[in-house]
Amino acid sequence: MRNPYGWAALTVFSLGFFLFIYAPLFVIIGYSFNSNPVNMMIWEHFTFDWYTGLFGLSDRETGVGNRAAYVESTDQMLAALRTSLTVAVFTTTISTVIGTATAIALARFKFRLRGFYNGFLMLPMMMPDIVLGIGLLIFFVTVGMNLSMLTIIIGHCTFLTSYVFIIVQARIAGLDPALEEASADLGASEWVTLRKVLLPQLAPGIMGGALLAFVISMDDLVITYFVSGTGDTTLPIFIFGMIRRGVKPEINAIATLIILASVVIAALGLWLRSRKTD
Amino acid sequence: MAPLLEIRDARRTFLTPEGGRLAALDGVSLSVEANEFVTLLGPSGCGKTTLLRAISGFEALDSGTMVLDGADLSALPPFRRPVNTVFQSYALFGHMTVARNVGYALEVAGVAKSQREVQVAEVLEKVGLAGLGARRPGQLSGGQRQRVALARSIIAKPRLLLLDEPLSALDRNLRQQMQLELKSLQHALGIAFIFVTHDQEEALTMSDWIVVMRAGKIEQIGTPREIYRQPKNRFVAEFIGETNLFPVTVDRVEGGDALARTADGVELRLPVLGRKAGEQVTAILRPADFTLGPTGIPGRVSRAVYLGSDLYLFVQPQAGGPEIRVIARDNQDAREGSAVHLSHDPARVHVLEAG
Ligand SMILES: Nc1ncnc2c1ncn2[C@@H]1O[C@H](COP(=O)(O)OP(=O)(O)O)[C@@H](O)[C@H]1O
Ligand SMILES: [Mg+2]
Repeated sequence: MRNPYGWAALTVFSLGFFLFIYAPLFVIIGYSFNSNPVNMMIWEHFTFDWYTGLFGLSDRETGVGNRAAYVESTDQMLAALRTSLTVAVFTTTISTVIGTATAIALARFKFRLRGFYNGFLMLPMMMPDIVLGIGLLIFFVTVGMNLSMLTIIIGHCTFLTSYVFIIVQARIAGLDPALEEASADLGASEWVTLRKVLLPQLAPGIMGGALLAFVISMDDLVITYFVSGTGDTTLPIFIFGMIRRGVKPEINAIATLIILASVVIAALGLWLRSRKTD
Repeated sequence: MAPLLEIRDARRTFLTPEGGRLAALDGVSLSVEANEFVTLLGPSGCGKTTLLRAISGFEALDSGTMVLDGADLSALPPFRRPVNTVFQSYALFGHMTVARNVGYALEVAGVAKSQREVQVAEVLEKVGLAGLGARRPGQLSGGQRQRVALARSIIAKPRLLLLDEPLSALDRNLRQQMQLELKSLQHALGIAFIFVTHDQEEALTMSDWIVVMRAGKIEQIGTPREIYRQPKNRFVAEFIGETNLFPVTVDRVEGGDALARTADGVELRLPVLGRKAGEQVTAILRPADFTLGPTGIPGRVSRAVYLGSDLYLFVQPQAGGPEIRVIARDNQDAREGSAVHLSHDPARVHVLEAG
């Protein structure tokens, strides 16, 4: 039945495809262990220095002689990472709560302009980042808000709420409405039904939405670029600024750690989704 | 004594997508006594589910009253009604164990955990699921899920249990077994059941009372025997079991019987009571009411279906007209093409006034 040539071609094609996707990541991981501080493309020897340096365990910082070439210090990089994490945690919490509540309200209560709300909640997802970024900036300036971590969080929430909403909504749509009726039938008030049946049933969707929001918030560059002030810099913006002057080897180590974290989060998300609830 | 549930003139109209109005309940009145097994029977779309949902509180009535145990139901939200439901889809909570599913009504009512566990074990035993409490619903077979749904709905000892086509997803053998179990469970628990089905056989086997519905209206309420032997109209007669309908004109009254004739000339004997020569009525005879013998309606077997101990025959009357369906013992010498005579006991004939 099987055509051996077709099969071989398919194998080569898929290998090539995976290489295309993952090669850049492996290059970064490789570079993060290269001890050459000047040119990371020339292999010197294996080192953990860039990792230990990140955590202040090593004083070898990009070589003394080359220090002047780099404006940024490792401390600044870690501060940026901290800002990113703080923003991501707040953003994830807020947008998950609002997105979930909205999805439940739109699915379970009938009110005027329901279709209208539905459409408008999709919009921030489809709007180009650059438009959303400019819009937010103009808004903050108009209402007289200083750009800070707060404006970054507000900016992220505007579109991440939509992401959570859409994921949770898909989960609700697939839910048998008889479950909630059964709960009421057995004597549970609406509040108890929400707590004991609806939220646990939606949990995989809510967790999935939250993880996605977290990852996107950590990753966002364009919108953050517009709404962040001079004080608070997130990691993507820090890296972006750094690249224009030349890449510090520590960045490879950070990138590798982020890849590792992403893999863990993605695996967690997949595991949560695969957990059968019925 | 007042009935357990009293429904008066319940009406519910839905707007169809085409903009029309559809009366799902069109003036339904029904009363159910404590500890009765009542079946709502009717074709799909006749309003059975709507009636059940009105009782459980998930559907509001446009008009009409429902009184349960002396209390007006319309004022109560679903979670305050002393009524439980077995849902057609079972609606088990997939994120909870079987035991927690079953104990849900008690958990919500605030019964202490230790006491709950005792009752859950008791009910699981009752429905034949002892020892399966730690499983998830997803790890059970269809029949077992059905039992979990049942256990969950009876644990709080409701006065009235509503079951919406609970057996329709089971295969035939399991279904027949569950029919008998449900009936004996109902008897043992002393809970009134309102059971919905579109399967007339199921209704006949299980019910104390059958309520036959059509298009939002009740056509007839009666015991299974009454519904089967004395259907009030053609719809009920044809919906319940195999039927031979003969539109006849009464010829003359002779001795103890009334002689009647179809337009084609097939002759039948009807009970004499109330018959007058010349009137037009419909005579109803079930397939088992005919016997093959030396006398009676002459005809020819056009098709014979073997049913095991019985033979199912389609007999074309010599006089003409539609075929007559007959169930005969298999020991008779009737095969396709053979000439037969069909006789019947006049007392077994049910007469619908006005053909
Ligand atoms: N929520 C609803 N909106 C519109 N029409 C409905 C709704 N629920 C039921 N109906 C209609 O009412 C009629 C009775 O439905 P139902 O009570 O479910 O019938 P059954 O259970 O006897 O099959 C059907 O024609 C159905 O289409
Ligand atoms: Mg139905």
